[in-house]
Amino acid sequence: MTAELLRIEKLGKSYRSRERQVDALTGIDLAVREGEFVSVVGPSGCGKTTLLKIVAGLVPATAGEVVLGGRRVTEPPADLAVVFQEYGRSLFAWKTVRQNVELPLRHHVGRAERRALVADALDAVGLGAAAGAYPWQLSGGMQQRVAIARAIAYRPKLLLMDEPFSAVDAQTRGDLEDLLAQLWHRYAMTVLFVTHDIDEAVYLSQRVVVLGTGTTGVQAQIPIDLPAERDQLGTRSSAHFGELRAQVYARVRRTPRPSTPELLERVAP
Amino acid sequence: MRAGGPLARGAAGAGLALGLPAALLALWWVASAGSTNIFLPPLRVIVEAFGRVWLSGTFADDVVPSLWRLGASYGAALVVGVVAGYAIGRWPVARALTSPLLAYFRVLPAPVMIPVLLVAVGIGDATKLIVIGLGALWPILLNTADGVRAVDEVQLETAAAFRLPVWTRHRLTLRAATPQIFAGARQALGISIIVMVVSEMLMSTDGLGFTVTQFQRSFAIPEMWSGVLLIGALGFALAKLFELVERRALRWHRGHTGREEPS
Repeated sequence: MTAELLRIEKLGKSYRSRERQVDALTGIDLAVREGEFVSVVGPSGCGKTTLLKIVAGLVPATAGEVVLGGRRVTEPPADLAVVFQEYGRSLFAWKTVRQNVELPLRHHVGRAERRALVADALDAVGLGAAAGAYPWQLSGGMQQRVAIARAIAYRPKLLLMDEPFSAVDAQTRGDLEDLLAQLWHRYAMTVLFVTHDIDEAVYLSQRVVVLGTGTTGVQAQIPIDLPAERDQLGTRSSAHFGELRAQVYARVRRTPRPSTPELLERVAP
Repeated sequence: MRAGGPLARGAAGAGLALGLPAALLALWWVASAGSTNIFLPPLRVIVEAFGRVWLSGTFADDVVPSLWRLGASYGAALVVGVVAGYAIGRWPVARALTSPLLAYFRVLPAPVMIPVLLVAVGIGDATKLIVIGLGALWPILLNTADGVRAVDEVQLETAAAFRLPVWTRHRLTLRAATPQIFAGARQALGISIIVMVVSEMLMSTDGLGFTVTQFQRSFAIPEMWSGVLLIGALGFALAKLFELVERRALRWHRGHTGREEPS
C-alpha cells in the first residue's frame, strides 16, 4: 500500500449571514493515497466544489484541516494543479495554446526544460499541431484538452478536477474520459475528481466518495474493483459495472437533499 | 479564390463608406457655387483658403501646438486613469473611499474648470493641458475600474492555483480588462479633442481653436470654414488610427466573444 498524499480531517465550511449560519460542509474526513484516482459525487448543492476549492487553497476552511504531502494547506500548495469546468473562462484568450500551457512554468522552470514539458504535454493530449492556435479557435473539447495539458505540464502530485467534462457533448466526453485515464497511468498522478455523473465516477475511479448535504459529511466510500484497463463499451456494459453503479446511486439517493432556501443561500455566500 | 476576395470586399466596403461623404461634398460644391452670402462662401473658395492657410507656416504654428497638447494630456490621462482605475477596481477599500468623489467629478464638465484654472494657474499651456487631461481622465478611469472588477473569477482562481507571482497576476487582470479600457480610451479621445478646441478658443494665442476664432473675428470667413474642415478631418483621422490599434490589440476578444471567424 502506498503512502498517504492527502488527508482531510473534520473539515467544515460555513457562511454566516446576519440572520443565520449556513453550513456548506461539516465533518468531512477523507484520505487519498499517492497514485490513487478518487471521485467525489453527491447531489447538487452538497458542497463538492467548495471541498475542491478548500483543498486547492483557494477558499479557507472554517473548521478542521487539509494536509497535503505532510503540509497543512493554507494557500494554494505547490505540486497541485486544477482543471475547472469552465475551460472557456480558465484559459487566457489572448495567449496561444502554447503560451497558456507554459504560463505556470515560467517562474519555476528553466527555458529548455519548459519547452520540453510543454511539447510533451501538448503531444500527450493530442494537440501538438495546435500549439500556435488561440483557445477560441478550438472546439470546447479541445479547449479542455489545453487546460488538461496545462495541468500535466506542471507535473502536479495531485490533480484536482471540478466537473471537467460536463460542458462537452457525449462523444467528446467519452474521448476525454479515456484520455484522462491514460494520462493518469502515464504520469502516475493522484487525481481527485469531482462530478455529479455517477457513471463517469465509476468508470474512471478506484474509489468513489459519496458526499452528503450540508451537515451529513461523507456518506459512503465505495471501492471500484473493476479491472485497471477499462474501455467505454466493454466496461460500461459489464454486469459488475452495473452493480457498482447501482450501489453508488443508492447511496446518493439516500442522502438527504438540501432545502431550497438553503440552496439559495449557498449561491451567494 | 471566390470572386469576392478580401481585396475586392475591402474595396467595395471603402466605396460604400466613402460614397455618401463624396456625394454630400459634391452637392455642397454645386449648391454653393454661385453663393453670394458672405457667411456661406462657395466650397471652391473654402478649398482655396484651405490650401493657402494650412499648407503654409500656420500648420507648424497652430496645428502642431494643438496636437502636442492633445497628445501630452491624453497620454497622461491614459497612464493616470489606468493606474487609478486599476486600484479602484481591484481593491474594495479604494472603491468605497473614492466612489462619492468619482460620482461628482464624472458629471462635472471639464470646460467649467477653465475659469478656475485661469485664475489659479494662468493662461499658459499648463491650464490647457490640465483641462484636456481632466476631460479625458474620467472615462478611462471609470471604464478601467469596471473592467478590472468584472474580470472572471475562474481566471483569477486559475492564476492563484498555479501560484503565479503577484506581478503576473496583476498583469493578467489588466490584460483581461483591456476591452473596457479601450472603450474608455475611445470615449476619452473624442472628449479630449472637444476640450482642446474649446480651451484654445477661450484662452490661447495659438492652436486650432484659437485660429478658427481669430478668422471669425477678422471676417476671414472662408479661412474660418477651412479650419472647421481641418478639425473635423483631424478628429476623423485620429479616430481611425485608434480603431486600427484597437483592432490589433483586441483581436482575441472578438474571437473569444464569437465576433471573428476562427481562422
